[in-house]
Amino acid sequence: MKLEVKDIRKTFGEKEVLHGISFAVESGKALGLLGRNGAGKTTTIRILMDVFRANSGEILLDGKKFAPSKHQIGYLPEERGLYPKRTVLDQMVYLACLRGMKAKEAKESAGKWLKRLEVDEYAVRKLETLSKGNQQKVQLAATLVCNPEIVILDEPFSGLDPVNSQILKDVVSELIQDSRLVIFSSHQMSYVEEFCDHIAVIDHGQVVMAGELKEIKKDYGRNRLMLAAENYTLDQLAEKTEREWDAYVSISGRKKEFLILELKENMDRNRFMELMVRSDVEVERFGRYEPSLNDIFVSKVGDEA
Amino acid sequence: MKKFLIVLRYELREYFTNKIFMMLTILLAVLGAALLFLPRFVDMSDFTGVQVAGNGEAEGSETEGEQTVFLYLDKAGVVRPEILAQMFPKSEWRAAADEAEVRAAVETQEAEAGFVVTGAAEYEYYVFNKAMRDRNTSVFDQAMKQFYRMDYCENSGWDLEEVAAMYDVPVTVTEMVLNKDTESNYWYCYALIIIVFMLIVYYGQMIAVSVTNEKSNRAIEVLVTSTSPNSLLFGKVIAGAIGGIFQMGVLLGAVLLSYQFNREQWGGQLDMFLHVPGEVLIAFAFFGLGGYLFYGFLYGAMGALVSKTEDISKSVSGLMVVIMAVYFFSLFQLMNVDGEIIKILSFLPVSSYSTMFARIAMGTVAPWEVVVSFLILVLSIIGTGILGAKIYRMGTLRYGNPIKITSALKDLKKSE
Repeated sequence: MKLEVKDIRKTFGEKEVLHGISFAVESGKALGLLGRNGAGKTTTIRILMDVFRANSGEILLDGKKFAPSKHQIGYLPEERGLYPKRTVLDQMVYLACLRGMKAKEAKESAGKWLKRLEVDEYAVRKLETLSKGNQQKVQLAATLVCNPEIVILDEPFSGLDPVNSQILKDVVSELIQDSRLVIFSSHQMSYVEEFCDHIAVIDHGQVVMAGELKEIKKDYGRNRLMLAAENYTLDQLAEKTEREWDAYVSISGRKKEFLILELKENMDRNRFMELMVRSDVEVERFGRYEPSLNDIFVSKVGDEA
Repeated sequence: MKKFLIVLRYELREYFTNKIFMMLTILLAVLGAALLFLPRFVDMSDFTGVQVAGNGEAEGSETEGEQTVFLYLDKAGVVRPEILAQMFPKSEWRAAADEAEVRAAVETQEAEAGFVVTGAAEYEYYVFNKAMRDRNTSVFDQAMKQFYRMDYCENSGWDLEEVAAMYDVPVTVTEMVLNKDTESNYWYCYALIIIVFMLIVYYGQMIAVSVTNEKSNRAIEVLVTSTSPNSLLFGKVIAGAIGGIFQMGVLLGAVLLSYQFNREQWGGQLDMFLHVPGEVLIAFAFFGLGGYLFYGFLYGAMGALVSKTEDISKSVSGLMVVIMAVYFFSLFQLMNVDGEIIKILSFLPVSSYSTMFARIAMGTVAPWEVVVSFLILVLSIIGTGILGAKIYRMGTLRYGNPIKITSALKDLKKSE
């Protein structure tokens, strides 16, 4: 199964908030939708779920027009919401039935997911009597109760403690292994890095980077080096770099133990190493820099996520 | 349709598993029925005029009860106590020595009231607390007129009975009401209009709160991705209607049946409220339910325009003005039920639920008028249902400040 979002545009009033969003994702893989607050992630997801209608563009599933009502989709909205005064099981069965399951089947599935998420003991309790973390887990169980083939999770980890985050991570991993198509948006890059094969970075309503995460990292790291010296502090090294090697490299970042340098067009790694050897710098650390998703995100979007 | 039924079932459980709702329904029904069984166990002959035997069966007309004491002081020498005793049933008339005695007896409530006659056509009335339905002075006026005529006839040498026979020729009337008896239908019509008004406002508010709650607890986003807004709103409104019909049905059923069972013991005193003809009840059921559904959808849409339950009153205020205006107008027009204005109002969906029902109960209405009015109401219900669902769908995902109905309609027009 392949889901393709093509050139989606959305306007609220006079303001265009999405300027041609495109990305694709396949079954058994997860797509991370990244972006700052207000970038357009939730609007994109809502269009995907047919909550909003796009002004133009198309969404295709295996090449055909995608109609969310015709597929089993598990949707965890950013704004969590269930009925606080109704029992957990009651509302899970209700939501599953609305998505086409029979009551008996829905009850069994609800029991299974509540158990998997370790909240089965609260099945007959009113939602409002549960802790925030357990409510969050119930919400995820309600998302998965209809055994969806497509799972869309909007900020699934927000508000969870490390223990509950681990349970959730395990569940998401299982979903991916089980060949479900998973899309999830998050600010937390470590989670995205852990699960997602593909990413799409949205900024100011447009995709500024999309593709396979491994390739993106490789591309991003291709011209980047890490450098640290025994006889220079990082500040001194940065000053020297700007003063003496400005024609060949620029400083693209800085970690606690090294500088990240970006090679300019007229320079490659070996020649820069020679340059270094000829200088008075006693190299402590030198090599290809393997960027984190956070580095890539920051370089594309600007601020720290 | 299947999803509508799922929503309906879920919403109905909200009512029928709600302990307060069920307890209140049962409690009110039992209380209403118990009140109507009272004359079987408590002597209420003062009000009902019926004496009830130990087994609870009505024995017939009232028997001798306690006598009411009245005092009079006759300064003009015209009072005839035997006439007063005839005109005031179950009364005892005592002559007072002076005004102080009258005042004291009334103040200590030994006497119900006192009369000081100061002239042939003049008197003072003493009473401790004057009741709303105090008719003592009007009866005493008649008595004074009678004394005057008797004295005049005696002084003129006329035969009072002959004069009275000439003036007060007894006229026998047999009423043949060929259509509706407005007077006897007035009170239950009045009561049923109040009931349907209360149903609309109470359950309408509940629907609005339910929609706003779904919006404020954000369940709506999951719901609108699982089913159509039509299923959601129709399910919610119709569940509210069933809840309302159940509650009102149990209550009215208990009260009407209990009265029917105890009508003899009540001496028919509550007929004007509780002896409702079947065809009027049927008209009430159809038009009342229609009015409820019409406004229910609008309440649902209004609930979707706000994000917090405390903003609902602001959102439904316009609707409330219309409902209140229709309510008061319907009640005022009961006096002129065949007037032109009520005829027009009985075809408008905002008001036909009470005005057409009133015309059926009290006025002259052709069958085609009832059919046309009902069809207009049904079409309007479908129209408001669809419009309400669109507003609901549009409003549900717009959080923050309340949305004005005019801007909601403009946005809807634009999106289409």
